[in-house]
Amino acid sequence: MAGSALRRLMAEYKQLTLNPPEGIIAGPINEENFFEWEALITGPEGTCFEGGVFPAKLVFPSDYPLSPPKMQFTCEMFHPNIYADGRVCISILHAPGDDPMGYESSAERWSPVQSVEKILLSVVSMLAEPNDESGANVDAAKMWREDRAEFNRIAERIVRKTLGLS
Amino acid sequence: MRAASITFISLALTTAVVGNAFYHKKQFYPSVVYITKSNPSMAVIYIQALVVVVLMGKLMQKVFFGQLRAAEFEHLADRSWYAVTETCLAFTLFRDDFAPRFVAQFILLLFLKAFHWLAEDRVDFMERSPIISWLFHFRIISLMCVLSLLDTYFVSHAYHSTVSGGASAQIVFGFEYMILLMIVVNIVIKYVLHTIDLNSDNPWDNKAVILLYTEVVMGMFKVVLYFTFLIIMVRIFTLPLFLFRPMYYTLRSFRKAINDVILSRRAIRNMNTLYPDATPEELSAADNVCIICREEMHSASKKLPCNHIFHTSCLRSWFQRQQTCPTCRLNILRIPSDRNTAPNQPAGAEAQAQPDVPPAPHPGLPNPFMNGVFPGMFPFWQQPFNMQPPNQAAAAPQPGQPGQQQQQPPSASAGPSAGPAAGPAAGPGTMPAPPFPPMPPGFGLPFFCPPFPPAPVPPPFAVPAPMPPPGLATLSEEELSRLESAARDGVAARLQCLQNIQQLLDAAVLLMQQYSNAAATAAAATPVPSFAPTSPSSVPSSSASSPSPSSTSGVDKPSSGLLGAGAVKHDTK
Ligand SMILES: [Zn+2]
Ligand SMILES: [Zn+2]
Repeated sequence: MAGSALRRLMAEYKQLTLNPPEGIIAGPINEENFFEWEALITGPEGTCFEGGVFPAKLVFPSDYPLSPPKMQFTCEMFHPNIYADGRVCISILHAPGDDPMGYESSAERWSPVQSVEKILLSVVSMLAEPNDESGANVDAAKMWREDRAEFNRIAERIVRKTLGLS
Repeated sequence: MRAASITFISLALTTAVVGNAFYHKKQFYPSVVYITKSNPSMAVIYIQALVVVVLMGKLMQKVFFGQLRAAEFEHLADRSWYAVTETCLAFTLFRDDFAPRFVAQFILLLFLKAFHWLAEDRVDFMERSPIISWLFHFRIISLMCVLSLLDTYFVSHAYHSTVSGGASAQIVFGFEYMILLMIVVNIVIKYVLHTIDLNSDNPWDNKAVILLYTEVVMGMFKVVLYFTFLIIMVRIFTLPLFLFRPMYYTLRSFRKAINDVILSRRAIRNMNTLYPDATPEELSAADNVCIICREEMHSASKKLPCNHIFHTSCLRSWFQRQQTCPTCRLNILRIPSDRNTAPNQPAGAEAQAQPDVPPAPHPGLPNPFMNGVFPGMFPFWQQPFNMQPPNQAAAAPQPGQPGQQQQQPPSASAGPSAGPAAGPAAGPGTMPAPPFPPMPPGFGLPFFCPPFPPAPVPPPFAVPAPMPPPGLATLSEEELSRLESAARDGVAARLQCLQNIQQLLDAAVLLMQQYSNAAATAAAATPVPSFAPTSPSSVPSSSASSPSPSSTSGVDKPSSGLLGAGAVKHDTK
């Protein structure tokens, strides 16, 4: 019998394919390895990321779901909560105990009750409402606060880029 | 493409060198001598040898691993970089032995190391893939055979050459191959465990525990080996710098393995002693999916105090990391047991109930239940009911300084802020009648001197809120007139009451200091000491007759909050 982490990931994959949440596609890159997933996230409507399709990679630890996966956008991103290399910095991806920013309450941290679907939905809402207190990308956070028009312009350029338009 | 061109250039150069030698010397032995005498020719030959080794490696990789995964390749690149650095450090140590043969042996060692690393990654991959083909098994088994044979051969070779030729760099090789042999043993154990697990029809819950113990045993062997080698090296040669990084990592993983075993044992003990098994009725309830593994629970499940049910094995592995309920994040260390629900629990029982709870995970934070703070505290919060109200009552209706008296007691206390003048409808209505008729003032005084013990981290709010004075309504006319009298004992009662208030204020200041200390400690322990709401079942049921529901929970929560903070800090390590 396969390990419990693998069984849970297979169950989550099945659930996601049967009941896909709107605007999100996710699954293993290669069905031989269920611990590396690829996800496509569409930018939430009514935000500066609207219309974009953002690819991301999820890497699961061998003790999933006891530890959270890591998520990294594989396209260019400009967002206060996304590092320059694409890594996503949201509290749901942090195990209770490690708090790189020191501002998250443990109630919104990772626990086995979370899932890939919840992570991706959190990322969508993060795209819609950046948290400019967490400085994963300080430049983006500053611009988001002070020069929203410029931020929107950059976001629009990125959206066009993900669609292969520019 | 680049690799192919390098191979081609190297091959062409070698052909040119060898052809040139034969062209000049015509015969085999003279040509060989000619090549070995010429440095450029030898350089070409060395490069060719290296290329051959790399090609061999690629071939072996194709045979034993097939296509490398991206993660495996990255891992290999990282580790190779360190290994090359350490090899260079080792070279400096054996400058005298520096010879082509020596270099060749090091390259061979690196080469074999790489295969051990890849094999480790591959066997770990067994847990990640739903598709394990017979080819996979065949490859792993044959690779393990080849590697173990090679390692054994090199160990014995190093041993014999050391015995016959005295201490030399061969000791290093012997030691390195011994470490590699251990890695092989570790891989084989893991492989066997994974294979058994894959072929069984039911989940094998104990596999994780067996793996933990394997890690500890192998880690111990490695640590012993490293120290032996270090001592030998220091005695024969000098301090082997190249050894420190791998030694550090070995020690670290050994420590982690021991820590994991301890945490696992504690989790198992907690599971077995603290939480009841879920009954069949609870399991057959509508939603009986275990939130950890997302599978249905049919047996072997445990129920936490918050009524959430999980598989025993799932919960055990979670408790190894976190002492909270996965669903509602209730800190299970805060809930000693059901015994806590009894109101007016005597201090002794409270103190006895605690040892059942696992000790605070972080040894740096003293467990407030252990250092005798609480037994000292509890009688203290039981006493005021009897002693204070008369004093307060005696002072309450003072016409002289009403403002002072009616505002200060509430500000000093965290309890209900019903001053005596608030009338019978407010606080006093809920308070029990003074158990005793007014007493001579000063009788209750000793209990107001808070016996603050010099605890390193006193629990905040450890000092209970002083009782508010009882209502006017409960005083008889006779008592009132006595309080109002200008006679000597009336004045003395009023003065006494003022002194009590001053002491209350002092106590409050001390309390605030302790609280800020504790808060500072807790903040240092964890950035966010979250006081998660306790579930209703955890709060002692507060009947109307219970005089101090607020102070009971006031004592309970923050102290367990410290425990919780300790738990959080512990997990960061
Ligand atoms: Zn389970
Ligand atoms: Zn719960």
